[in-house]
Amino acid sequence: MKRLSPRGVDWGITFMLAFATVAWLLAVEGGQGFGRDEGQYFRAGERYWGWFEELGENLARGQIARSFSASGIDHYWSDNAPDHPVIMKTLYGLSWRAFHRCSCTGPARGLHPIPVRGRHATLPLFARDSTAFRFPAILFSALLVAMVWRFARGFLPRPAAAAAAVLTIAQPHYFFHAQISCFDGPITTMAFAVGFAYWKSLRDPRWGLAAGAVFGVALGVKHNAWLMPIFLVPHYLWMRRADLLSWLPRRRGGGGEGATDTPRPKRRLPRVPLVFVSMLVLGPIVFFLHWPWLWNAPAQRTRAYLNRHLQHEHYNFEYAGLNWNNPPVTTTRKLIRATSPFVETGLTVPVTTLMLAIAGAVVLARRRRDAAVVAGEPSEAPAADAPSWLRPGVDVDRAPGAFLLVQTLGPIAVLAVPSTPIFGGVKHFLTAMPYLAVVAGIGLAALAAKLTAGLAAGRFADGARLRAALPAAFAVLVCLPAVTETQRSHPDGLSHYNLLAGGFAGGASLGMNRQFWGYSVAPMLDRIDADPASKGTMYWHDVIHDALSMYKREGRLSMTVGDTGFGEEGIRRSQLGILFHEKHWALYEGWFWEIYGTTRPVFVRAREGVPLVTMYRRGGP
Amino acid sequence: MIALLALTETAVALIAPWRAPRDADWAAAAREIRAGFRAGDLIVAAPGWADPILRLHLGDLIPVEVAGRLDDDRYGRVWEVSQRGARADGARRGAVALTRRFGALTVRRVERPAEIVAYDFVAHWTDAEVTRRNGAGATLMACRNVGDRIQCPDISYNFVRRQIVEVDNRLRQALLAQPVPGAFVVVAFPAARLGSKLIVAAGLHNTWMRKEARGPVDLRVIVGAGTGARDTSVTVRNEDGWKPITIDTSALRGQVAPVRFEVSSPAPYARHFGFAAEARE
Repeated sequence: MKRLSPRGVDWGITFMLAFATVAWLLAVEGGQGFGRDEGQYFRAGERYWGWFEELGENLARGQIARSFSASGIDHYWSDNAPDHPVIMKTLYGLSWRAFHRCSCTGPARGLHPIPVRGRHATLPLFARDSTAFRFPAILFSALLVAMVWRFARGFLPRPAAAAAAVLTIAQPHYFFHAQISCFDGPITTMAFAVGFAYWKSLRDPRWGLAAGAVFGVALGVKHNAWLMPIFLVPHYLWMRRADLLSWLPRRRGGGGEGATDTPRPKRRLPRVPLVFVSMLVLGPIVFFLHWPWLWNAPAQRTRAYLNRHLQHEHYNFEYAGLNWNNPPVTTTRKLIRATSPFVETGLTVPVTTLMLAIAGAVVLARRRRDAAVVAGEPSEAPAADAPSWLRPGVDVDRAPGAFLLVQTLGPIAVLAVPSTPIFGGVKHFLTAMPYLAVVAGIGLAALAAKLTAGLAAGRFADGARLRAALPAAFAVLVCLPAVTETQRSHPDGLSHYNLLAGGFAGGASLGMNRQFWGYSVAPMLDRIDADPASKGTMYWHDVIHDALSMYKREGRLSMTVGDTGFGEEGIRRSQLGILFHEKHWALYEGWFWEIYGTTRPVFVRAREGVPLVTMYRRGGP
Repeated sequence: MIALLALTETAVALIAPWRAPRDADWAAAAREIRAGFRAGDLIVAAPGWADPILRLHLGDLIPVEVAGRLDDDRYGRVWEVSQRGARADGARRGAVALTRRFGALTVRRVERPAEIVAYDFVAHWTDAEVTRRNGAGATLMACRNVGDRIQCPDISYNFVRRQIVEVDNRLRQALLAQPVPGAFVVVAFPAARLGSKLIVAAGLHNTWMRKEARGPVDLRVIVGAGTGARDTSVTVRNEDGWKPITIDTSALRGQVAPVRFEVSSPAPYARHFGFAAEARE
């Protein structure tokens, strides 16, 4: 049998990692409920599909212009605008249309956001509609894992690079977002894709061009993309710092006898590289072209989109035992608030991964210019003498430590600014996590090399096979806690905290956010559905109507289950109701006590003893 | 080191779910408490986040007025159901009369001298005479009891009623009395039996209202009448939470005297002010 080339082996591992990621996520995603945002994106994705459906009909009738008229566009594309661009929502809608198992003409026909004109012909890969919606997000997660592996292979031996890829997906909070049809998983993929393309562009102009298009796609996924250039420019200036230093006055070599002037380097400013030009030109073009809603009033609607996020409301969020829903005004509160992304990282990422990342940071800090990141791997020595705007990293060390530092700490530092909203918790700086995993991979490689060298010098000097197997075994060992913790956390990844915090219970005791947006009801849907009081008079608290529609479409709730609406009046109209445990919802629990006349719930959904959802019945049990 | 950490973290992740209290633990703990429970006992969970599960099993013994209590000091016997070595604030003071373990739960009964309540102003809210007065103290409007509240004329939100308030994301049973522009809302109890001290606690209700506005609210408490009256003022802001005040009334102990609460604010927009008070021996 023909042996695979090293390149072939690397590609084989790429596909294995991606496939394993898809398999893991598809195996578990059904257990995870629908948050407020995901419910809206189901609805929007299906409506966007409606535009394509109508486009096909108009094409057949020779009236294609109707689909591109202002009303033809806005009828579909104004859903969830100006909140978010539409690349992912469109993919979710297309995936649903292609892969769901159609029962669309059955009792749930009226729950679709667009008219169902007949039974859909599909490739019925998935039993649940929601899985078909989520599939593109899952593919994006697999793409991320594959990219982390390939990026890390640029510095690291196979075991450490593979571990970096596994440690990327095996983070409870990232894993939560990786399987749902929202944007935080996909934008993490795109942030890494932009960074990877930029990195390759430093010595390859083809990637300089590609990076612009990739950046445009990132802009079409989520607004986090606005920050990406801010994290690339500092690295570029650092990498080309010799250009900047050439403008400083010449240093004199001491002052004593025999002192000589150091040779003056040729003065030059760092050139604007192709990659930034490409991002500046292609990024906005791709962004504008992908979003039909912008086409009718480009300037006005782009401004509306920008303002939506620049002036975003501060939702409620628990951190350090306090409820945060406004920018802090006192110095103490500002200081506490500034710690949040760092503490949240420290308490959510598996501890072994964090320790490896610290070891990796030390390795990067101690690396000498032009040396390899890890001994035995390709060096960073310049490949040419002269700089070029097409290959701006060809004549210098590309400074991988600075690159990884900025990509990891940049997104975290932005969320440390007290005036930024923190309601999403870790999801707002998930883009840092793949880079953190790469740094952990670097730490692992260095530790494995030391261990192997130690064995070679010791009693296992003759054990060549043992030494050869050790890096892979070590990689498996350090991935074990991350994978175990991640599987343990499911389907309540946002409630989970790491060994340092003390797990679910430790996070609750530390006053860390437990959940948001009502997804955690999923495991108790059967119980609710079986209760006669839920028929017509059920109060759903933070479960949005779109999520309820999807539960009914999938048969997880009967069609007769009611929804009495929002807030205090919704509770007044109900006989049975649920409450999600977040700090700011205490007000709602008070309404239950008063209106239902009892403090005694009929059911509490908990994880490891920590309450997530409480169910009350009017008059008590 | 890393290998040891990895093994430890994996082992903890596998074992931790089994260390959490089970339904059977809660049921056994509840049986123990029910067997020894006396009217007026307080039952608390430690850590506090386990409170919904505690109420699932023993909620019939924790009525609204207990769950939304002013503080813990009026309770002489406190049952604490704890896990993971936690301690409830309400069970810190006193002698431990009983300790029993039920799986991952520990039940303790703590006993201490209870503070006797001579007059509970929240429970007696219908005794209150509510008026709206101007800055000089002249009565502008008298308010009347309309069933679930004492409503003042002309301003819909100018009323006093007993309700559960959410202050600092905790629930309390209190009197809600929103301040109004340019006037005082006066809640007067003409005949309250006093003890050695008057315990008052106040705060701003509703997390969305605290997000919406930052104006301070002033509460003036006048105990007694004439020249011997005790006059105490406190200002409550968003960050203050459930702010306690203790007023020495030992000179009036055992007497029936008027007690007046005056609520005002220089910026009354979205200020849902709640307070509770008890005269204690």
